[in-house]
Amino acid sequence: MDHVFLSRLQFAFTAMFHILWPVFTIGMSLLLFFMEAMWLKTRDDRYYHHARFWTKLFMLNLAVGVVSGIPMEFQFGTNWSKFSVAGGDLFGHLLGFEAAMAFMLEATFLGIMIFGWKRVRPGMHLFSTAMVALGASMSAFWILVANSWMQTPAGGNFRDGRFVIQNNFNAIFNPDMIWGVTHMWVACLEITIFVVGGISAWYIYKKRNAEFFLRSFKIVVVVAILVTPLQIYLGDSSGRSVFHTQPTKLAAIEGHWHTNPPGTGAPWSLVAWPDKEKQDNVFDIKIPYMLSILVTHSLTGQVKGLTDFPVDEQPPVILPYYSFRIMAGIGFLLFFLMLWTCWAWRKGKLNTAEVTRQKWLLYSWMAALPLSYIALEAGWVTREVGRQPWIIYGVLRTQESASNLTASAVGTSLLVFFAIYFVLFVLFVLFARHVILQGPDFESPKS
Amino acid sequence: MLLLGPYLPDIFLFIIGFFLLYYAVVDGYDLGVGILSLRSNEEERSLMMGTLDSIWHSNQTWLVLLGGMMFGAFPLFYAIILSSLYIPIMAMLFAFILRGVAIDFYAKSDRKGLWGFSFGMGSLLATLAQGFALGGLLAGLDVKNGQFVGSIVWSWLNPFSVLVAAGVLFGYIMLGANYLILKTKDELQQRSFRYALASSVLTLMVSVGVYVLLIIRYPNMADKYTSAPGAFYVLLFPALAFFSFVMYFRSLVKRFELAPLLWNVAIILFSFIGVSFGLYPHMIPNVISPTVTVRNAAASVQTLWFMFTFMVVIIPIILIYTGYTNWVFRGKSEGAYGEDGKSH
Repeated sequence: MDHVFLSRLQFAFTAMFHILWPVFTIGMSLLLFFMEAMWLKTRDDRYYHHARFWTKLFMLNLAVGVVSGIPMEFQFGTNWSKFSVAGGDLFGHLLGFEAAMAFMLEATFLGIMIFGWKRVRPGMHLFSTAMVALGASMSAFWILVANSWMQTPAGGNFRDGRFVIQNNFNAIFNPDMIWGVTHMWVACLEITIFVVGGISAWYIYKKRNAEFFLRSFKIVVVVAILVTPLQIYLGDSSGRSVFHTQPTKLAAIEGHWHTNPPGTGAPWSLVAWPDKEKQDNVFDIKIPYMLSILVTHSLTGQVKGLTDFPVDEQPPVILPYYSFRIMAGIGFLLFFLMLWTCWAWRKGKLNTAEVTRQKWLLYSWMAALPLSYIALEAGWVTREVGRQPWIIYGVLRTQESASNLTASAVGTSLLVFFAIYFVLFVLFVLFARHVILQGPDFESPKS
Repeated sequence: MLLLGPYLPDIFLFIIGFFLLYYAVVDGYDLGVGILSLRSNEEERSLMMGTLDSIWHSNQTWLVLLGGMMFGAFPLFYAIILSSLYIPIMAMLFAFILRGVAIDFYAKSDRKGLWGFSFGMGSLLATLAQGFALGGLLAGLDVKNGQFVGSIVWSWLNPFSVLVAAGVLFGYIMLGANYLILKTKDELQQRSFRYALASSVLTLMVSVGVYVLLIIRYPNMADKYTSAPGAFYVLLFPALAFFSFVMYFRSLVKRFELAPLLWNVAIILFSFIGVSFGLYPHMIPNVISPTVTVRNAAASVQTLWFMFTFMVVIIPIILIYTGYTNWVFRGKSEGAYGEDGKSH
């Protein structure tokens, strides 16, 4: 294994680990703001107790997110120095903006949010929570802007191997940006919903503070009515944007090898085994015309196949093909779970007496918790593996972007990352379990 | 405004210098408290961690800000430094992971001893990693055509960097002790006075040694002593640093609570400016590659302008809310770590 491969592995591993944490931080900070605001508005202490209980899980999550996030920023320099020089003119200052505008805001007001309950007035505390939520969401914005620019570079040109900006606005609002940012931000909301919903379902199922957790359960069901269909819409729009801007990625996602001749429709592959050697699918179940309909909204719209591109510009196919199907499949499952829950609610099954008997519904919500995270990881695999072999699509190859390091140095750091992140994950699970088993604290707020 | 254009790289050098200083001071006392906690019993350690609970996230974020700004304004500089100092930078990141989760897990766990120890060890390791990285940087990295060509090990592991690392270690302990003087009382405060004195004597000795070695190593720096305007600046700032040391010792003897920390900051400020003046404009001080200077390591003028207008707005805002948070948690820290809403 050479140092480039090891650097790729290290980045993939550390990024896939890191992304698990900020999603909940981003979504939960908004939910915490809502609960705290409702408490101040209604003076109903149950909102306060909810805020305090979920803050514990929020903090635990944030701790792992912060420590695993800092290596992400530094790895661009340590392992991908040629990329940093080539793309730094844009990419670097976006990370700088993220730190200055978002992360600093979040980290500083976090102190008041967690430790300042008795040091500031309730209004100021609410403001601090709002700033933490704002910082977290802006963080997602800048990071996704930077990432989407790697997918669809715009706003300048490359001279002597270095990107030089001409128009900052065009670089930031690059073609993929609006879909990249919204799809990810809504994913944060969606995962938070299914984490809070899943944990609440567990308490209800165990008949522990069932009435208390029925409240958080219902809140997230209401949010899910909006979020789960919205995410499907955003995913679809994102896919059509990929069709226009990154044809090789779309073709890989769909296992689509041959451009449909004019007058015919491209079929959509339901299940297949793509084989890059043969430049075709070994085995395939297709729905005629469907791909043309999905991405061009016409029966016979042309969809470029992978064989139109040189082999050395084609991404790996199997990985994006399946990761996309896993992500989209889970997205629909979560949508159906929302419909089912609404139906049960309408039938009057979501009251304290009845809800504990809805075993399958509660089981499904508990299962949705890990599923939503799997969809998240699968989505990122689709996005990032589908962009290969480019680190900046169409401009710079990943293979040519790594630092000149020794394989032993990168191999060692990779092993340490494996070990540390494994331990972190186990510790997180143990602490989270402890918090959940302990349950909420019903001590009255001191004014 | 157009007049500013050619000076933008220097302006950003100044901004990044400010971030570096701010970071070194605030995370310096953070890490210093961590190192000192290794010598404390459980009860004291909890008090020491209690002085940091509300502020350490914010303090550590200055490092992220520093990294982001350097990446944005000087991509080449960022790429060369981080890739050539791979080992100490990675060690620092691992140490921050250990330390960060130790602080957050400490309050929730029954095994306080384990997490308290991890907090201390993480602080020590992060400090040493920063010291060695700084040592490698000051000694000069072998750069040819914008690529690092030196040894990934010996560029930062050599007698000179050991000396620099010792300086950073003593310096952070000194900051940590001065912070504890401000934030604690009674026995812990008295002991902090003693640590502050001992560590500052060591810091002074090492700093003088490092400074002399730098002058010997860099003819460019030595030359400034003999030319008219340069000599004034290179002499002025070490002199101010020395004066601050004198005032610092006086404030310790008089048992002032805030003054030691402030004089400590002054010492760091003047030493930093002094060394920066000496090295400028060779951003990665290096005899082999004098080409990596401020201007050619910088991003394009377009990017710098964009960042500049942004920073002019955001830096005051950051300083205001950071100042406010420090104000909210002012005064003596009274509870153990993790005790919410300690009284004034």
